[in-house]
Amino acid sequence: MAQMPIVIGALNSGFLQTLRLFFITLIGAVPLGLLIAFGSMSKFRPLSMLSKFIVWIIRGTPLMIQLLIIFYFPGLVLHKQIWGGGETGRFLAASISFIINYACYFSEIYRGGIQSVPVGQEEAGLVLGMTKTQIFFKVKLMQMIKRIVPPMSNEIITLVKDTSLARIIALQEIIWAGQAFMKGSQGIAGEIWPLFFTAVYYLIFNGVLTVLLERLERKLDYFR
Amino acid sequence: MKRKVLSVLLCGVLAVSMLAGCGSKSGDVVTNTDTEDAAENAAEDGSSATDTETAADSDMAYVVDKGTLVVGITDFEPMDYKDENGDWVGFDADMAKAFAESLGVDVEFVEIDWDNKVLELDGKSIDCVWNGMTLTDEVTSSMECTGAYLNNAQVVVVPKNVADKYQDTDSLADLSFAVEAGSAGEAEVSALGLNYTPVKAQSDALLEVASGTSDAAVIDSLMAAAMIGEGTSYADLTYTVALNSEKYGVGFRKGSDLAAVLDEFFVNAMADGSMQACAEQYGVQAALVQE
Repeated sequence: MAQMPIVIGALNSGFLQTLRLFFITLIGAVPLGLLIAFGSMSKFRPLSMLSKFIVWIIRGTPLMIQLLIIFYFPGLVLHKQIWGGGETGRFLAASISFIINYACYFSEIYRGGIQSVPVGQEEAGLVLGMTKTQIFFKVKLMQMIKRIVPPMSNEIITLVKDTSLARIIALQEIIWAGQAFMKGSQGIAGEIWPLFFTAVYYLIFNGVLTVLLERLERKLDYFR
Repeated sequence: MKRKVLSVLLCGVLAVSMLAGCGSKSGDVVTNTDTEDAAENAAEDGSSATDTETAADSDMAYVVDKGTLVVGITDFEPMDYKDENGDWVGFDADMAKAFAESLGVDVEFVEIDWDNKVLELDGKSIDCVWNGMTLTDEVTSSMECTGAYLNNAQVVVVPKNVADKYQDTDSLADLSFAVEAGSAGEAEVSALGLNYTPVKAQSDALLEVASGTSDAAVIDSLMAAAMIGEGTSYADLTYTVALNSEKYGVGFRKGSDLAAVLDEFFVNAMADGSMQACAEQYGVQAALVQE
């Protein structure tokens, strides 16, 4: 068990990369998703068609392929490597792939949430002389947020685990770090347990997330 | 009604700004490729009179120009691995550092997914693959490779308690094998007509044997020496038959002139003894290709 500190150190730094990708994706995809949701609900046909087209492409293809395309296509097709080969470039490409992918899923959840608010409330608002913007921010938004928390929690927990897909473009997240010891890394070769041990990290982090999201759901209960 | 128009307009502005954002980005890229193409064309025009090897010329010029040789590797002791300080060392890593120095450029090591090595080269995220790479037909047809610099073999890995039964090729017929997809090991077992399952990595092949889902694995002898036996999770495994002998080389982008430059560097390093010294440091001197 002398290897324990080395393995845990490597897994920690791998998990740090996992967390970085997770938080950046959330920060980027939560607002971008709202933008796409507005796009798909727009009465301006070309805009709603475009949004729906993007959502179709992104939801219709595997995230793994999207990662490969975003990282390798600039160099392969345009003959101009825009990411750089190092860790930073790989992280950047992974972040952008994840943000776009998750924004599309989020947008559909938002749309469901917004459209679930009864039309009567909007009509009442209009009768009272409120603007559409006022109606959205003062009447619909909080109700929508409350309703989308359970499906969003689902997606967010999936996101934690999906970050492992980024290893396809050699982003060194925790699964990569665990697998490294199977072949040999830092003087430890042929060790299987670090790979399986990574599951503990995911499990604990998702446990914390679940508690936090449940608490948020309870806080938003005042609408009932 | 006015407000409705306003909100539609706002959405329109958002959409346009999004599109504009995308547009300017791709615009940049296009401009860059244009200028690069233009530069390449100019180089071609300029040198067509004097030199026919234009495409190859540009790769060495490309690396020297950006000032860094990006070496694609995997963590693979004793070829490329991290020392206590987290620096990349190993026989391949040290030779790569010396080669970069001879070119007058910095060296950068990047860990890659081995399956994507050709993608990484063609996508220019790395400049060469220098990581104990077996020179197979597949490798030499998709990359510009150097000559061989190190000997290697594919060996059969079986549990220790049954190792006695499998000491020659004929005895292997009734075993189920696990081999790395696309590896030299896969080529060997399929040539022998053996029953096998392709897996993602050599380490996964060992996992198959250790867990009993396959009877045997075929992996590199250098890797087998480092990964199995006492002090690993695979203490109960051992290796027996060598199925072939093969050679390691370094791969560059197809058509690159750097492969020839590195060949010359290897010849010089052999001549002045620096390559032998480096090999002895990592215990691979017996495997060096003597010319």
